[in-house]
Amino acid sequence: MAEIGRVRIRIPSSIRQGDIVKVRVLVIHPMEIVERKDGKPVDKNYRFINRVLVTYLGNEIAQFETTQSLSENPFFSFAFKATEPGALKVTFLDTHGGKYEGTADIKFS
Amino acid sequence: MSETMRTIHFTRRTLLRGLALLGVSGAMLPLVGAPRPAAAQGNLANLGPEEPVDATLKRLFGGRPIKDGSSVMKLELPLIAENGSVVPVSVEVAPPPQGHVKSIYIIADRNRRPMNAKFNFSPGVTQPFVGTNLRLNETGDVRAVAELSDGTLLMAKREVKVTVGGCGG
Repeated sequence: MAEIGRVRIRIPSSIRQGDIVKVRVLVIHPMEIVERKDGKPVDKNYRFINRVLVTYLGNEIAQFETTQSLSENPFFSFAFKATEPGALKVTFLDTHGGKYEGTADIKFS
Repeated sequence: MSETMRTIHFTRRTLLRGLALLGVSGAMLPLVGAPRPAAAQGNLANLGPEEPVDATLKRLFGGRPIKDGSSVMKLELPLIAENGSVVPVSVEVAPPPQGHVKSIYIIADRNRRPMNAKFNFSPGVTQPFVGTNLRLNETGDVRAVAELSDGTLLMAKREVKVTVGGCGG
């Protein structure tokens, strides 16, 4: 498997000021699911992403609380209004303390 | 509410950053023994509880009435999911006349832990839209519940037929 924690952000190729921009973010992560033994769930420290933070121009615009019910290598898409050029940053936090970040530059054409 | 959450998340972030600097891995956190919010744990007891969907709705929303929001919410799901471990879903909510959409919950009725994901938005977000991939255990309804800033709850649901389940847990 590709290395865990690689983050890819896809933004539209041309953005104009004031546009509602739809972004897709993908992170490489196993998102472990609960194992069962004889029908009983095994208690262990499962590794999955439980928090996603999205910041634009330094302000937090969205925050997702996620569970194992999301697929392996989860993607998230969301929309925001591009008001000014600047950085869009997405941070993923997992239950093992991992922190994975990706940034995209929002530029106007 | 949002103020408190912000404080918690700030502390947690700082804590994690601090630990990362010290080279302490997340797996060792239980040894440290500090009580942490449930969302931060990887242990079984701290995952969402296994429960029927009615219990989930009650736990999340108490007895608050949930209105039918199918006219303002667009929930996109496949009719038939051949592979339950990757089911694309997207939810779009028409911006309410007043206030904003605070959060969107995605709840799968027939999963062991129906609460799938919660998406919180800041007040400045005028276009509440989210999409992701779900794991679905078996054929059943998938609901999206939108919570507006005035506390109104709106729900839309669709049935998805699942050929091969995608959830071990």
